[in-house]
Amino acid sequence: MPYVRCARAIVFVAPFLVATGFGARAQDNPAFYRDVETKYIFGFTEGSGIGLEGEKEFSLETVARMGKRDGRYWASETKLEYEFTPNQYVQFELGPLVSTHVIKDVTDMDNRNQLAMSGFFGEVRYLLLDRGPSSPLAVTLSAEPEWHRIDETSGARVKNFGLELKVNADLELIKNRLYLGSNLLYEPEGTHDPDGIGAGWEKESTGGISGALSYRVLPSVFVGAELWYLRHYEGAWFNTFTGDAFFLGPTAYVQLGRKVFMTAAWNVQIHGRDVDEPGSTLNLSEFSRQRGKLKLAVEF
Amino acid sequence: MIGTNAKWIFSLLLLAMSSLPTSTQQAATVTISVKNHRFQPAQIQAPARVPIELHVKNLDPTPMEFESVSLRVEKVVAGNSEGIIRLRPLDPGTYNFFDDFNQATNGTLVIK
Repeated sequence: MPYVRCARAIVFVAPFLVATGFGARAQDNPAFYRDVETKYIFGFTEGSGIGLEGEKEFSLETVARMGKRDGRYWASETKLEYEFTPNQYVQFELGPLVSTHVIKDVTDMDNRNQLAMSGFFGEVRYLLLDRGPSSPLAVTLSAEPEWHRIDETSGARVKNFGLELKVNADLELIKNRLYLGSNLLYEPEGTHDPDGIGAGWEKESTGGISGALSYRVLPSVFVGAELWYLRHYEGAWFNTFTGDAFFLGPTAYVQLGRKVFMTAAWNVQIHGRDVDEPGSTLNLSEFSRQRGKLKLAVEF
Repeated sequence: MIGTNAKWIFSLLLLAMSSLPTSTQQAATVTISVKNHRFQPAQIQAPARVPIELHVKNLDPTPMEFESVSLRVEKVVAGNSEGIIRLRPLDPGTYNFFDDFNQATNGTLVIK
């Protein structure tokens, strides 16, 4: 799958190429390893950071999912995100979603090659526990309601509402250098009559937990790794278990300039179970073989 | 199942609300100046666990941006003017800040 290799190369080579240049420039700065906002240093795992009071940010954040059991599968969703922090406790984000789907000869899916405005999202983050001189732990709660007119997996037209609830925690293991991050995820969602048979709202939910380590190799560069465990259910309240999956992969964060940064992550499904396919070692019904994340942000 | 989950979510919300800033304490006022791209004094002090009103006087003709990740604030102060930054109650310890427009300009706030 050349497009997967190409995307993987972009996600990981680009940050390291720019890192060498920008890292060298940062070495000239007398304040080498300043305090850092941890929100984006863990890949798919989100850190506790909520930004600085008065800070605004615009970013493009793309999450791509690649590979099903057969055929050719690529689905991506890009957030055109505006983020602002009105005080020292709360952060808000909102913006439209754009999706792409390239699907060919995948079992139970229509072939598709499309680009579409796929929905809208908002997010509120609340700093529950602040890191301080005597406490290396910080915890943030986040709630992200989403509306989709395009199904994230199949690309079909749908009416879908979801609510992603997360606990984002991180621990500073070495001052300004090494961080341990973890997320708890609960995401109920409902899709109206997805098969067009008058079935009403079909509800599902996803739960998950992650662990991530991120190390600052240069003042402007973090590299790390993360592990995610995700469980999928029918019903909004974890009603009927349908399958789970473990994802593992590297992460990178690069401060490109005073107000510009990028973050990248690549996760590969290393193990999964599908209740409908006993004996399966991967869950390719609810999850993809691989997923990648690339975010470019400008603060102002 | 629904009842258990609802209780869990309600408890989390309650926990979040309990840590909301409810203090009506008098704010401590601290003043710092910037001249020739240096904080004067480079170290300032303030009491612990009370709100802080930090007055930043920029005595240079060029703007500066007071920034601190640990204090969770950033504010641009125009040349030859004063900016006021309100800080949440802080635990004892040392908090670093700098001028983002001139990153060699560093200072510390010591909370006692």
